[in-house]
Amino acid sequence: MPDAAEIERLRAEFQAALAAAATEQALREVRDRFLARKGGVIASLMKVVAGAPPADRPLLGKLANQFKNDIEGALDAKRALLESGRPVVGGVDITLPGRQAPLGHLHPLTHVRDQVEAIFSRMGYEILEGPEVEDDYHNFEALNMPPEHPARDMQDTFFLGQPVPQLGLATPGTRVSTRPAPLDRPATLLRTHTSAMQIRYMEAHEPPVRIVAIGKVFRRDNPDLTHTPMFHQFEGLLVDEGVTFADLKGTLTAFVREIFAPDIKVMFRPSFFPYTEPSAEMFIGCVFCGGDGCPVCKRTGWLEILGSGMVHPSVLEAVGYDAERYTGFAFGTGIERVAMLKYGVDDIRLFYENDLRFLEQFTF
Amino acid sequence: MKLLVSWLRELADVRLPVANLASLLSMRGFEVAGIETVEGRADDAVIDFEITANRPDCLSVAGLAREAATACRVPLRLPWDEAGRPISTARPVPCPTSSRRAADGLEVAIEDADLCPRYAAAVADVRIGPSPGWLADRLTATGVRPINNIVDVTNYVLLEMGHPMHAFDLERLAGRQLRARRARAGERLRTLDGEDRALEPGTLVIADSAVPQAVAGVMGGAAGEVWSGTRLVAFESAYFNPASVRRTSKRLGLKTEASSRFERGTDINAPVIALKRACGLMEQIGAGRRVGAVIDVYPAPRGPIEVTLRRERIPRLLGTAVDDAEVVRILTGLGFGVADTPGGWRVQVPTVRVDILREVDLIEEVARHHGYDRVPYHFPPLRAVPPRPEPGMARKNLLRRVLTAAGFSEAVTYTFIDAADAEPFADGNEPSVPLAYPLSEKFAVLRPSLLPGLIESVAHNRRHDTRDVRLFEVGACFSPSRGERHRLALALTGGGVPEHWAGGHRPVDFFDAKGVIERVGEALRLPLAFTTVTTPYLAPGRAAAIGVGTVAIGVVGQLIPAQSERRGLPGGDEMYVAELSLDAIGRLEPAGDIQVEPLPRFPSIVRDISIVVDEGLRAEPVRATIRRAAPSTLVSVREFDRYKGKGIPEGRYSLSLRLTFRSPDHTLTDADVQGAMGRIMEALAQEHQAIQR
Repeated sequence: MPDAAEIERLRAEFQAALAAAATEQALREVRDRFLARKGGVIASLMKVVAGAPPADRPLLGKLANQFKNDIEGALDAKRALLESGRPVVGGVDITLPGRQAPLGHLHPLTHVRDQVEAIFSRMGYEILEGPEVEDDYHNFEALNMPPEHPARDMQDTFFLGQPVPQLGLATPGTRVSTRPAPLDRPATLLRTHTSAMQIRYMEAHEPPVRIVAIGKVFRRDNPDLTHTPMFHQFEGLLVDEGVTFADLKGTLTAFVREIFAPDIKVMFRPSFFPYTEPSAEMFIGCVFCGGDGCPVCKRTGWLEILGSGMVHPSVLEAVGYDAERYTGFAFGTGIERVAMLKYGVDDIRLFYENDLRFLEQFTF
Repeated sequence: MKLLVSWLRELADVRLPVANLASLLSMRGFEVAGIETVEGRADDAVIDFEITANRPDCLSVAGLAREAATACRVPLRLPWDEAGRPISTARPVPCPTSSRRAADGLEVAIEDADLCPRYAAAVADVRIGPSPGWLADRLTATGVRPINNIVDVTNYVLLEMGHPMHAFDLERLAGRQLRARRARAGERLRTLDGEDRALEPGTLVIADSAVPQAVAGVMGGAAGEVWSGTRLVAFESAYFNPASVRRTSKRLGLKTEASSRFERGTDINAPVIALKRACGLMEQIGAGRRVGAVIDVYPAPRGPIEVTLRRERIPRLLGTAVDDAEVVRILTGLGFGVADTPGGWRVQVPTVRVDILREVDLIEEVARHHGYDRVPYHFPPLRAVPPRPEPGMARKNLLRRVLTAAGFSEAVTYTFIDAADAEPFADGNEPSVPLAYPLSEKFAVLRPSLLPGLIESVAHNRRHDTRDVRLFEVGACFSPSRGERHRLALALTGGGVPEHWAGGHRPVDFFDAKGVIERVGEALRLPLAFTTVTTPYLAPGRAAAIGVGTVAIGVVGQLIPAQSERRGLPGGDEMYVAELSLDAIGRLEPAGDIQVEPLPRFPSIVRDISIVVDEGLRAEPVRATIRRAAPSTLVSVREFDRYKGKGIPEGRYSLSLRLTFRSPDHTLTDADVQGAMGRIMEALAQEHQAIQR
């Protein structure tokens, strides 16, 4: 009478036969011996099980079936193993490298830019570039920085040796505006921030305004680990009725959580920008030490990530908005800064060397 | 601004540990750049604050003490009488004349009240010597070098109150006069640092009856300096026009503790208080004694400004309400005069707070001390349909996709470049736009083309042993006549296909570059035409102008070896470059969606043809002849081989073309195509003397 012990004995017998089978032929013989429909070990076992007393049948049947499945699995695995070592006529050395169509890589600044644009587009912001050469009015004066304003020192400027014609608002957006076309002044400097574009946009549009201006900006800094005379910035502006500092905090927190990490800590601290009041600097928990303190965050556990604030009423008035009715917030930061934090880049100059050994690390 | 913590504690009863005090002030907008310990004083430290441009009042111990006292809700104990400040008094009485005479014959006059609205002075009988240790130590800890007791007293007041003063040796002032006036043509002054400086007319100076003795608000002159033999001192304590000091300081390239405060704006009501404080201190340390009264020339006194703060504007701006009591506590603590009104408060602004001009500035004060962390997080509702994205940006992203798929990596190069690098790439004979004061020769002009930067990046890669380089850039270029223009450029060198063990490697050639441009044309749905062109930086015979209809949109070709060699590239390595105008493309690109052509319902017939023609004949006219001679069932002509050599006569070459015929409405027969092929061959023979092989 078969019992569990008998099945275990057969199992041991199979294991020994399987281990001994060194060729595909030998393996086929093992398969025939155990699985042949007629006279195979399993077939015989099944017959015996069928004749067992009804009380024993369910358990024995289950054990026998499991045994059969185990045998099939083990045979397949062993066969695959033997086949892989088999020389094939007309086969190829599949371990040689494949033939790759050449593939280029986007610049890491573009990767960051794409993410910034995607996040803010989803929040309903229009993305704009604007001219890189500007006039003094749009770059400074309309932003509450009249001539001799000490804040102009914060952004030491490159002036052009000769004025050049100004493109103005390259694409005037799609919203119909009844505003007169802004006065076009020849460009005399390289913009020190993308805020100039915010003025151009407001000159041409009525609120509500939701824009992100993104692109190159220029400041007189000699190149070193953390400075280059040219870098990229993005600056957002939202002007509408009832916009508050709480909206600023909510929006920017949503942004940094998406671009860095969903659980990142944030902190807002008072600061000064001539075109916002109140002004705030936004900090995130250090992405390198998680807030424990390290050389990158100067042991504070915090990294400064964005400058922001409520749009100064003088700025709204400069473009003819009713500063009693409308409020707004503005924010901005360097794309290089975000890229350096995200990707662990410790020398900003790498972004401008265009060394393929650097660029090719940004796969997709 | 370096703050000695024990000094601050003297003015405000703040008992917090140093680190907590630093963080408290940092959370109120005073960034901490560093904290240094003080030798032998465990409970003391020097905190280095970055003071923002709007807060010159906090370039002083008193200013920071006021912030700390407000934050900690403790009283401020200033060592001087605040009664002179206009918060607590009526407007000062105007002084009828602009010139006053004092004890010992010192005469003070303001000649240019627009640049110097107030000038106070006092005379003191002094004994020059070193300062006492405690005073010298405080200066040293704060980064100011002790000089002698009188100069140290003025510096002490500067650090404590934030008001710069100056001390003259009265006996060296011609006519014992101090006159605030504009410099005259040709006037010069040897300043305290030993430099002999030419004074541009219009610069505000403090002169005696003959010559300038100080650059007002910036630096004193060497001649009137207080020295060991000085017996009588004239203390100056004035208010100078910020813009004027700023201009002068910039022009002279001279930034001092005084100028950095004056140019941001000092307290116009501080001069007399500072003067009294300095005299008091001088007497306290036994350095001298004031002689006679304080002179105060102040032709048009200014009162404090008043700003209305409406209760409802606070939550409207901050998104959170602040208790009335908290608003009053904060503003009062910061030195504002606060009076209730039905809708809020009428606020008198202390003149030391030059940054407070309107309501929103007060709301910031409330927010700073109430705490930004107490403002909730909220997401603004979207109330209008977001506008469509700018088409130019979508196009640039499309080009980025096309070029990366073609194996080109994206480069970002500097907008300003070397003038010599720029020159061959400028359009026409236009010079490049220069920068007024470039950082260096490397960054002298705005790029007229993306190519110089891109070529340099290719060269960088070659110098670092990367052989196969394909780069592109999308960006702005500049010209004097047309301003900013947008372009796409690419450059490639090395292998035409990636190196592979199975072989097939070959160097890049013109057709690799042209192929990429053709793909760009396809992506933009623009039919591109290539014509011969002569361009200074492209090799003759390997250069093409790219056009759409009659509009030129760019060039493609081999960079002349002289240009590659200039960048240190091996001369034998060919580099191909192309540049396209995105502005021109933007005007040409078809609008609307792609419209699908139905798939052909009938089979096509393919015929190959090989002809031998003259070497000088190009493919384009051959193709044109075929199209002209063929029926409308010819759907495509494509060259698939070009051969010169054995079996082909000298001066001729063989060109093989594949012709595809298909009809939209029936299946073509061999006979149909045979007839067409005959006519085509006939035309080729006639027009190009082609012989079928």
